[in-house]
Amino acid sequence: MKLLEYQAQTLMKMYGVPVPGGCVIAEGADIESELAGSGIGYPAVVKAQVQIGGRGKAGGIRFAQDAAQAKREAEDLLGKEIRGLTVHKVYLVEKQEYVSEWYLSILLDRLSKQPMILFSSMGGMEIEETAKTAPDKIKRIVVDPMIGVEDYMARYLLSSSGLDVSCTKALDQLLKGLYRCFREKDCMLAEINPLVVREDGKLIALDGKIDVDDSALYRQPEVKAWREELPEEDLVKEAREFDFLYIPIEKGGSVAVCSNGSGMLMSCIDMLSKNGMVVSAALDLGGGATKERIAEALRILFATQGVKAVLINIFGGITRCDEVAGGIELAMSRGALEGKMIVVRMEGTNKDKAIEILNGMKNDDVIRVDGLRESIAAMLERRDRL
Amino acid sequence: MSIIIDENTRLIVQGITGREGTFHTEQMLQYGTKVVAGVTPGKGGQEVLGVPVFNTVREAMEKTDANATVVFVPARFMKASVLEALDAGVPTVLTIAEHVPVQDMMVCYRLARLKGARLFGPNSFGIISPGKSKAGFMAHRIFTPGNVGLMSRSATNCYETVFMLSNNGIGQSTCIGVGGDMIPGSTFVDLLGDFNADEQTKAIVMIGEIGGNEEELAAEWIKKNGSKPVIALIAGKNAPKGRSMGHAGAIVSADGTGSAASKEKALAAAGVLIAENTQHIVDICLKLKEEGRI
Repeated sequence: MKLLEYQAQTLMKMYGVPVPGGCVIAEGADIESELAGSGIGYPAVVKAQVQIGGRGKAGGIRFAQDAAQAKREAEDLLGKEIRGLTVHKVYLVEKQEYVSEWYLSILLDRLSKQPMILFSSMGGMEIEETAKTAPDKIKRIVVDPMIGVEDYMARYLLSSSGLDVSCTKALDQLLKGLYRCFREKDCMLAEINPLVVREDGKLIALDGKIDVDDSALYRQPEVKAWREELPEEDLVKEAREFDFLYIPIEKGGSVAVCSNGSGMLMSCIDMLSKNGMVVSAALDLGGGATKERIAEALRILFATQGVKAVLINIFGGITRCDEVAGGIELAMSRGALEGKMIVVRMEGTNKDKAIEILNGMKNDDVIRVDGLRESIAAMLERRDRL
Repeated sequence: MSIIIDENTRLIVQGITGREGTFHTEQMLQYGTKVVAGVTPGKGGQEVLGVPVFNTVREAMEKTDANATVVFVPARFMKASVLEALDAGVPTVLTIAEHVPVQDMMVCYRLARLKGARLFGPNSFGIISPGKSKAGFMAHRIFTPGNVGLMSRSATNCYETVFMLSNNGIGQSTCIGVGGDMIPGSTFVDLLGDFNADEQTKAIVMIGEIGGNEEELAAEWIKKNGSKPVIALIAGKNAPKGRSMGHAGAIVSADGTGSAASKEKALAAAGVLIAENTQHIVDICLKLKEEGRI
């Protein structure tokens, strides 16, 4: 779960990472009184809260000389789209004076399967460019989780970057705090860009990005509470209530896919796309779906804008075919299917019973096929209906 | 032969008294797996399906000749169970739970490496050597003994492939659910050596996915050491790309690894046969069979 900047900074602050501190203004709030009560000094920075990189370049960061300008900028940003995401909150912080911009992050490295620290003396908006053109300007340290962060690491980052090691103590403290945050809050990523150095040598995290492992949210209650605030598609939320994973894919597609595993879903999407069909959404049922849940899954998929056909591909395991067939029957009786079609391919437990149910429905809009390739062909044959 | 799990496997089931644990213990026993012990804290001294239950893995190891364990506990207890098994010296540990916090697995992975133990999963169906033994929850009816070794990040794609292979008269030596999580206990490259050395295995099927660089590493290994035909499928070519937030991901993959194109290119350069979909895997295997290579 990707946190908003102010949320990330709230967590980092709990672990002693120096952050500027600011004021969050939500859409619909009385901006003037929020600003007056915030105690923020000027000049200030008004930052759009969206979970995406590159927002500075996209005009999501504004400067304000006084409260009146801050109000204008906040009003302008709220509700605006930044790189496809709507701004529901802005974060106002006092503008900081500094002498240099560094980059610091800790991520879970897939190669070493351990936390990795990334550091650069060339922080800021061009960091990805630096990674490509001058990879040696980015220092990496793999941290053994059995040991954690030790003092020499900050010293290495500074010294190998050609920086003054007199900052070691400040960076060491910050790094240890960030690492504790990373471990205790189940982060996949904790990033500060830029990490700025003030003239007096003090370090301040001007930005914060944190991605928390979804599988660990059960033990991160404060992070879980934030999830409710995040902008998310209604169908994604609705699906989650049934423990389904609903994945929006391409807007405007006329096909959706439904399966009992993410691998099979990916295979179906690949095969449909290869044949020129545009997949709008995918839904992972997980294991052991009942007919009631199948019917809900179909309702959710057909509620996706533009979807005219759903491809159901179920392969054995703990999902029973007769429940799937029963679910299709139920969804139809509820009218989810009018003018739309379902291509269903099932293999596994109680397949015979399932065929009986489907045949008994006598509905031409439900097409049963055997085999994965055949299911794609059945969709292709009826392209004119999509 | 076959690898990791076979007729000599003497298995512990951690969480044997749970609903899933008991059900799948019964399935495994019926299939012929030698389940020699179960572990559930507080249930020591009981028996489940004739299998003695112990309070700790260490006692199970002391009182039986177990040499592997399968962990049938919910995700949130996985770390404690795996660390216990590794600490008790179990050389082969299989985990199957979905939604395991990745940092829990990170610690388990590290300890397994330090102990020299083999760890599999999580988010895996387990391992089966058809006709000999199985450890996990896979629907074993679709598997048949033979000489194709499979390893897969996805359970459904593996089932689908195995189902079609078996229907076409092509059996399997061992099928391994590598698991779909970010940190799998064992990855393709950890298993290629086993399959390569296994006399029964004549061809290796690798079902990968976008993300990570396991397929790229496998390609490197195959280029250097591979002596058997390898068939690979990379699923997820058209999967939606996650909105990247921080820069760290872009920095570590600045060399372009992780995409389907990068994986297929690396694998093809290593002489691996690239399959477009699961059906295509079967077509390639049939051709190998025709040529007498499997």
